[in-house]
Amino acid sequence: MSSSMGMAFRSLKRRRLRTAFTVSGIVVGVALILVLLSLTSGTSTRANALINTLSPAQITVVNSTGRTSGAVPAGGNPVFIGRGGGVFGGAGGLAGGGAAATFAALFEGSDTMDQSVVSAIGNLTGVAVASPTLSSTGYVNGNAAFLTGINPATYKEATGGLNIVNGTDLANSTTGSQLVVGQILATNRGLSVGSVVTVGANSTGGSQFTVVGIYSTGNAFGERFAYLPLTTAQTITDKQGKVSEVYVKATDPSQVAQVSGEITASIPGVSAIAPSTFTGPATALAGTLTTFFTIIGLAALLAGGFGVVNTMMMSISERTREIGALKAIGAGKGQIMKIFMSEAFLIGVIGGVAGVVVGVSISLALPYFTGAATSSNVSGVGAGVGGLFRAALSPTVTPGIVLLSFGLGVVVGVLSGIYPAWRASRMDPVEALRHV
Amino acid sequence: MSSSQVGSPSVGAEAPASKAAQTPEARPVVVQTIDLAKRYKHGRIAVAALDGVSITIAKGEIIGIVGPSGSGKTTLLNLIGGLDRPSNGRVIVDGVDLGTLDEGKLADYRLKKIGFIFQFYNLMSTLTAIENVELPMGFANVPKAERGERAEELLKTVGLELRMDHMPDELSGGEQQRVAVARALSNSPSVILGDEPTGDLDSKSAKALMDLIWALRREKKVTFVLVTHDPIVVARCDRVYSIRDGKVLREIIPKTENAKRLSEEESLMMDTLY
Repeated sequence: MSSSMGMAFRSLKRRRLRTAFTVSGIVVGVALILVLLSLTSGTSTRANALINTLSPAQITVVNSTGRTSGAVPAGGNPVFIGRGGGVFGGAGGLAGGGAAATFAALFEGSDTMDQSVVSAIGNLTGVAVASPTLSSTGYVNGNAAFLTGINPATYKEATGGLNIVNGTDLANSTTGSQLVVGQILATNRGLSVGSVVTVGANSTGGSQFTVVGIYSTGNAFGERFAYLPLTTAQTITDKQGKVSEVYVKATDPSQVAQVSGEITASIPGVSAIAPSTFTGPATALAGTLTTFFTIIGLAALLAGGFGVVNTMMMSISERTREIGALKAIGAGKGQIMKIFMSEAFLIGVIGGVAGVVVGVSISLALPYFTGAATSSNVSGVGAGVGGLFRAALSPTVTPGIVLLSFGLGVVVGVLSGIYPAWRASRMDPVEALRHV
Repeated sequence: MSSSQVGSPSVGAEAPASKAAQTPEARPVVVQTIDLAKRYKHGRIAVAALDGVSITIAKGEIIGIVGPSGSGKTTLLNLIGGLDRPSNGRVIVDGVDLGTLDEGKLADYRLKKIGFIFQFYNLMSTLTAIENVELPMGFANVPKAERGERAEELLKTVGLELRMDHMPDELSGGEQQRVAVARALSNSPSVILGDEPTGDLDSKSAKALMDLIWALRREKKVTFVLVTHDPIVVARCDRVYSIRDGKVLREIIPKTENAKRLSEEESLMMDTLY
C-alpha cells in the first residue's frame, strides 16, 4: 500500500513531542558514531601522511656510527625516524615551539655515508632500487632552508616521487641547476615556477638555480624543503661523494623486514630502518581504538534502538483497537507490518538525518576547541611538528562516513520496528476490537 | 435442534419490509451458519459463547440480532465476519466454507466479502474521510486513481460529499458512522456486519443511518447483519434473531403477529416501537 508511509508520517507528526524524544535517541547514536569515525579517520589519515613525509620509502638506510647510531633504531620516536637518521635523533625535534634551532643543529650535524654504499645496497638480492639523498641545511636567497639532493630517476622509483602541484619535477639528472621547492617554502620566500634563486651552503654566495616546480605534501613540515640534483647538492655543501640516507625499495613488498635486516647485517656502518615494522603496531593500536570507539557508538545506537522499541510498543498498545479495526476491514499481517515498519523506518531516517547534521557540526567545530585548526598556519619547523599532533585531533568527515552513520540510524530504526510491528500483526482482532 | 428450524430466507421474504424485494425462490442465500458453536476457556471452566446456532440469510436482507449482553451475539457476528474461528459447526458465505480458508485467505475474505461497521466507528484517526474509504481498496491493490474516484462516489452516496477531506475528529458521530459505512462498501462486499452501529448515535442520527442502510439495500442489494439493542434498528429489520445463552431463542418479524409473542424483555423493546 503506497499510503503506509503517509500514514506513518502523520502518526509521528500527531505525537510530535514523543517522536522528538524517540528520534533523539537515534540522533545521539548517529552523531556519536559520525564524530568518532571521522576522528579516527582523521587521525589515521594524518598519521599516514606524517609517516609518508618523514620516511617516504619502504626502507631508509642511514649511518649507524657516531651520534646518530643510538638515536635512530633504538631511541627516539619511531614515527620520526626516516629522513636522515640524526634529524630527529634528539627529543628536541618533538618538543614543538622553540625546537627549530635544535632541529637545525641536528640536521647540520647528521653523519653522512660514503656514496659507495648505494651500489653495495643495490647489489643485494631483494633490493629493487637504492636511491641516495643528501640532506643538509643551506640557504636559499640568503634565508636558511633544508636542502635535499636527490637522484630524480631512482628517487621516484624508491619513494613514489614528489607530488608536483605546479611546474615540473626535476629533470632525470644528478647535475644541473634545477630546484623544486615545497609550497610553504615557496609562499614564505615568494618563490614561483621560473624564479631564479641563489642557493648556497652559507648565507652569502652560492649558485644560481631556477625553480622548476612546486610540490605539496599536505602538511606544513614536509613543504619546507628544496630538492635539487644530488651531485649539485654535494658540490654546494662540499660533501662530494657523501650521502646522508639511502631510500630502498624491496622487490617484494612482503620481504621488507628481511631486506632491511640484511642491509644492516651485510653492510658495515649503516643501519636500515623499515618504518612499516614500527607503524605496524601503531596501525594495530589505531585499529583497536577504532574498534573501541565504534563499540561505544554502537552501544549508544543500541540504547536509541531500545527507545524506538519502547515507543513503538506504547504506540501499538494505544492503537490496539485501531489495529483490530484494520484487521476487521481486511488488512493482512503483511499490511499491518508494513504500516508499523514504515513508522520505524521514518524514525530511523529522521534520526539519521538529524544525527548526521549534529555529527558533522560537532566534527567541524571540534578543531576550534583543540586548537588543531590553526596548525597549518604556524610557522617554524618545531611548531609545525607539534601542529601535526594537534592536527591528528581534527576529524575528517568523508561522504562514506556520513552515509555509514546515516545508514546505521536507518538500520537501527528498522530493526527496532520489527518486533513491535510483528506483535501488531499478530494481534487477535476480536481481542483488539474489545480493547478500550 | 430447535434453533436449526428457525430462520429460513423465505420467512424473511414474507416480511412486510421486503415486499419490494424479489420472489423468495430467486433470492440466493448469502450467509448460512450450521450448528455453529464457540467455547471459550475461562481458567478450567469452558464457557459456551455460542451453542448450536443455525441461521440462513438471503441476499438483500436486513437482519437484526438482539439479546442480553453475554448472549453471544457479537461472537456470532465475529464468526460470520471471519474474525474468529468456531469451535464447532460451519459458516458458509457466498458458497464458501470459512473453515477451509487459511489465515491469509480469511483476511482476504474480510477484505472483499465483508464490510464492518462498529459502535465507535473505528476510523483511522490520522486519515481524512476519503482516505479512510480508500484504505480497504488500497489493501486490495485497487489502482490509485480508481480508489479516489470510487471513494468519492461512495461518500456522495452516504451524503458526505462536502466532508471528504475532513479528519474523523472534525466530524460528528453520525457523519463518522456514515464514513464507516462508505468504507465498508468500498470493496463491494456481500454482507455488511454492524456491531451496535447506532450505539453511540443520537436518535436522529440513528434514524438517518437506518435510512441509509435501507437505501443501500434498495439500490445496491447489500445484505446487512446488525447486532443491536436499539429499537430504532430493530423496527426496521426484516427479521430479528433473539439470542439467549448462545442459542437462537426466537426469530421475530417486526410489526407482525409474530412479534406479539415475545418474552418480557423483547416486549419491552418492541413496545417502544408502537
